Amino acid sequence: MASLLTAVQKKMHIFAHRKARGLLEGEYASIFRGRGLDFEDLRDYVPGDEVRDIDWKATARTGKPLVKRYVATRRQQLLFVADTGRNMAALAQGGELKKDLAVMAMGVLGVLAVGHGDSVSLVHGDGDGTDALPAGGTEHHVEMLLRRMDAAGLDHGPSDLAAQLEYVAAHYRQRMLLVIIADGVAADQRLAKVLRRLRAQHEILWVDIADADLAGPDAVQGTGLDVAGMEPVLLFLAQDPGLARSYAEAMAERARGLSELLAAHGIATASIASSSEAVARIFALLERHRRGR
Amino acid sequence: MALKYWWLLPLGLAVLAAAGAWLWRRRDAVQEHSPVAHAERLTELPAYRQAVAAHRKRLACTLAAFAVLAVSLLVAAARPVSESSSIPEQLNRDIMLCLDVSGSMLETDEAIVGVFSQLVGNFKGERIGMTIFDSSAVMVFPLTDDYEFVEAELATATQALSSDAGTFDYLAGTYEAAGSSLIGDGLANCVNGFPAAGKAAGETERSRSIIFATDNMLAGRPLFTLEQATGLAKTAKARVYAFNPNDYGPTGSGANESGSSGSDPGSGSLGSIASDSGGYGPSGSGAVPLFGDAAAGLQKTAVATGGAYYALESEEAVPSIVEKVQATEASLLLGAPQKTVVDHPGAALGVAGLALLGLALVAAAARRGRP
Repeated sequence: MASLLTAVQKKMHIFAHRKARGLLEGEYASIFRGRGLDFEDLRDYVPGDEVRDIDWKATARTGKPLVKRYVATRRQQLLFVADTGRNMAALAQGGELKKDLAVMAMGVLGVLAVGHGDSVSLVHGDGDGTDALPAGGTEHHVEMLLRRMDAAGLDHGPSDLAAQLEYVAAHYRQRMLLVIIADGVAADQRLAKVLRRLRAQHEILWVDIADADLAGPDAVQGTGLDVAGMEPVLLFLAQDPGLARSYAEAMAERARGLSELLAAHGIATASIASSSEAVARIFALLERHRRGR
Repeated sequence: MALKYWWLLPLGLAVLAAAGAWLWRRRDAVQEHSPVAHAERLTELPAYRQAVAAHRKRLACTLAAFAVLAVSLLVAAARPVSESSSIPEQLNRDIMLCLDVSGSMLETDEAIVGVFSQLVGNFKGERIGMTIFDSSAVMVFPLTDDYEFVEAELATATQALSSDAGTFDYLAGTYEAAGSSLIGDGLANCVNGFPAAGKAAGETERSRSIIFATDNMLAGRPLFTLEQATGLAKTAKARVYAFNPNDYGPTGSGANESGSSGSDPGSGSLGSIASDSGGYGPSGSGAVPLFGDAAAGLQKTAVATGGAYYALESEEAVPSIVEKVQATEASLLLGAPQKTVVDHPGAALGVAGLALLGLALVAAAARRGRP
């Protein structure tokens, strides 16, 4: 079985050889630098905690399930929040499918997390519903997550990233590292609200999969298919310079709005346009996040 | 106006409809398009909406022009034709009026000429000529399709042959030789009135008929016997329609027309008529059986050439009999009516040209709109 993870790891090896060996791992580990690993207490069990973290003796004493906090903090949980709606089956700026770039980004971070002994889980879905995968610390588990991401197709529902974020806000009590796999969403009240809510609880990394240009010299040629409404878009009409200019202005305004929102919450972002630059961009993202704290 | 290949129209329209349906379905099979996300950021721009509206307009114009082009080309391919059936052989007739102008025949001649002066108004392509003879033959006018001239000539002839005519100037030249009603010579002259009559049969495409009015009251010694003249007529493939006003005898077929059964004329008896009748006067004072013999000779001539023989009881019968001759000729010559098909592609191709022009205009506008 051709593994999605193997492809990701190959890219990472190439990157690791170019940079100092181990740098990537170090960048990841340093995200959680400064946590008090020796601190120990007990707290109530909430859904999402690993069963192995339950302090059975304390549970037996008190009569309600308790988990050992120190173990849980030492073993970080990485949660991918990904949109697997139709948007991800569209073209990215570099001409690949956006879901392939998402798989790449998730793979890189997943391999790092698993190598560090952390567990990874996934909340994904589209406008029709959200699905959550439990945490796991094996490469096999990462591969399973990647396959979920890879399954995003035109037969899926329309994209709704905010709904996935709201699901996370509603269902996860544990402090986690959130990696949000987004595409060019626009900043709006709903997104701002849920981000504010999530930022208070979690560390957040924002990975933006860049959309293909629809107008201008580098735009997609011919006729496009709008994945939101599944309707044709006459992209060849967008060769008109005036139209391309107003499109570029609209896009720049959207990007500015989103980056202002993310910056306000101190969320580091990376924009990935093609799979060849994915590893470097993730590395830069981790570094940015470490320095930003 | 009709369409020769009318089935091309429904067939072509069906093919067009099938192609249109296929294209429409292919348009729905959007998997071939590149999927793009957040397209509303483009499609909601007013500039894009304007461009789409202009594109729609161009497409509609193109579609309309193409539909017009396709339909007009289909119509042109289906060959719009006008059909008319004609009987060209009948119009290729040559008619020679061959009139015996001996005294006894003048009234019959007048009737025949009168009938033909009326008929000539309906002629289209037929040629008509007129020869009169008594002891010698005079061609009044040769075969011609100048009907104005023919009408004038026939009017003159009607006038001159009528009993009111004071003089016989019109008949000048018809009694140059001794004798009267030298019908053999007369018929031979008439046959020679056809162009290239002496040449072998089959060289001419026009059918020939001779309206031969005579009582066969031969007086004198003709250069050609009736038998020999009949031979000439047969060689020239001219049918002889004989009109005899003096047939009272029982030996003939009476007042009835004899069928053109094509039996060979009895050359012996013809010869005997020609020689026997030499002794009789032109005024027709002979005995009834002799009239009958004369009639029989005439009838044989008519039958031998494929024509018909008519005994006239009175001049009033002439119009109906001429009509009958025309009908007989028509049925003989009719054959299969020929269909003339004339194509009229002009209108359809003109519309197609206009549609092409429209397409070119739309293409030019599109090029101007998109640098």
